[in-house]
Amino acid sequence: MATTVTKAPARDAGLSRVLKSPGTARILFPFAVLGLWYFIYYTIDSRIFPSPQDVVVFMWEEVTLTSGVRYSSVAANLYVQFAISLMRLTIGFFVALIVGTVIGLAMGVSKSVDAFFHDWVMAILAMPALVWALFLGLALGFGHLGPILAVILAGVPFVIINVREGVRNTPKELFDMARAFDVPQNKITRHVLVPSLMPFFFAAIRYAYAIGWKGLIIAEVFASDRGMGWTIKFWYDAHRAKGVIGYALFFIIFAMILEKLVFDRLSDKAFKWRPQVNALEMAEGDFGAVTQEGFLLQESLVQEGVPIESMEVESKDG
Amino acid sequence: MATTLEQTAPGARSAEEERLIALRKRDTRRKWFWRIAGYVVVLGVWELASGWILSENLLPGPTRIVETFPDLWNSGRFGESYGATLTRIGVGFGVAFVFGALLGIFTQSRWVEGFFKDAITISLVSPGLIWALTGLVIWGFEPQGWIFAIFMTTFALVTINIAEGIRALPKDLIDMSRAFGVTTWRRQREIVIPFLAPFIFTALRFGFSVGWKVTVLTEVFSASKGIGYEMRVASQLFRMDEFFTWALSFFVFTLILEKLVLQHYEKKFFRWRQEVTV
Repeated sequence: MATTVTKAPARDAGLSRVLKSPGTARILFPFAVLGLWYFIYYTIDSRIFPSPQDVVVFMWEEVTLTSGVRYSSVAANLYVQFAISLMRLTIGFFVALIVGTVIGLAMGVSKSVDAFFHDWVMAILAMPALVWALFLGLALGFGHLGPILAVILAGVPFVIINVREGVRNTPKELFDMARAFDVPQNKITRHVLVPSLMPFFFAAIRYAYAIGWKGLIIAEVFASDRGMGWTIKFWYDAHRAKGVIGYALFFIIFAMILEKLVFDRLSDKAFKWRPQVNALEMAEGDFGAVTQEGFLLQESLVQEGVPIESMEVESKDG
Repeated sequence: MATTLEQTAPGARSAEEERLIALRKRDTRRKWFWRIAGYVVVLGVWELASGWILSENLLPGPTRIVETFPDLWNSGRFGESYGATLTRIGVGFGVAFVFGALLGIFTQSRWVEGFFKDAITISLVSPGLIWALTGLVIWGFEPQGWIFAIFMTTFALVTINIAEGIRALPKDLIDMSRAFGVTTWRRQREIVIPFLAPFIFTALRFGFSVGWKVTVLTEVFSASKGIGYEMRVASQLFRMDEFFTWALSFFVFTLILEKLVLQHYEKKFFRWRQEVTV
């Protein structure tokens, strides 16, 4: 009898613990969004606002290619559009990475080079992707070059800033010591320079990719006749809310997959030697408002819930 | 002996100091030289590129932009457009700030944090364009459309900053003030707000720079005034000089805002801090 009495509260506690756990809350979130969606759907009684099942059906038809929509003779369906965007993104991303690394290294090593480029890097960073998109569309037409350049222009400042900070943060004592002990140059590069640059470089990759993607789809809306950005604009122009929301969800799913599966794994690998990286430490430089946005985002991308302590340090200096 | 030591020590130190000051001066001079060189080279290449590489109408040089600015200024569209755009940013980011700050306070609870975790990640990683188009397609040209877009792209920035700020609050100071019977109001004003201020400033900065980018995007699709609208019209009419003037003028505007307004208030807020460090 005593056992039954003790058992019941225990099970109860277990259930309430499950209900109160953050994991449950996380699972609840999509259902809450769904509920809110249905609530809005039934209250506003609009002819254009789609119900969740409309959107799901639309997305399913797009994925299985049963919708019968042919976007164009070249880019007929979701997969082709996505492949075109991905190709543009990848090319632009690698060019941005190479150019940004070269300039960033030079800026980190030499103060003169830093003074030379600094303000212009800031200016490029502060420009909305819309400016590039509208200009490139007029200047280069609707080919691949415009969107690729948009990716480069959007991504390159972040690569530069991160690589620059990475070079500045390399431990000078370790270099001195390595030299004092006659360690060969290639070993110094491999064991001192690269590992200390790695977190910054990784942050650069991650952020350039995310920001390049955002720049690309805006460029595709205004300066292209195909690609994912163009496709969401296609549904917008057709006044099909289910198309716009469906494609918006494709974008979100893509971003989340990239975030959770690719970058989290990569960062685990890159930071094996380091228990934790506080990417915001690099924001201590003299960059103004616009850059910090990058650092904050990148910080939250690199690792959720890392304490932003350096922010205080920074403001103390100012 | 002690006196001689004391006499030589300040002398040596001042020589060292002078050397340091001279070094710093040389550094500053060199920095400014290269900075100006950067301006000269970039503006020069730009000026040469317009007309030589690209048509002057397509890529107007810096001098053309400087010439265009007074025309735009005199046309009176400047004040109207800035008013419209800043109102949009103000309203959209205002809503996002209030909600984001509240969320930042409530995410101290692990359950709430878990609940909104994905929302925050989605807000950070998804492109502003999808929110702009989604908001427009649902609400049309109603203000909810652009408020939704600005809100979705900026609230997470505020939440993250406020949450971190609250986590960094000095618990011991608050406990002590409570023990000594300091009133709640005074505790908020003298402990909580000063410690939260840097995080609020960061949130404002991030939010403004992200918010402005998505605002021009919404204006392109759903406005009849504002900077984004003017940029689109200028580019469609092939008035690239006006287009670049609009784009660059806002950049200059944010620089001025940052240097004069934000930094002024920041100094005001952090005066107490410098006193402590000195």
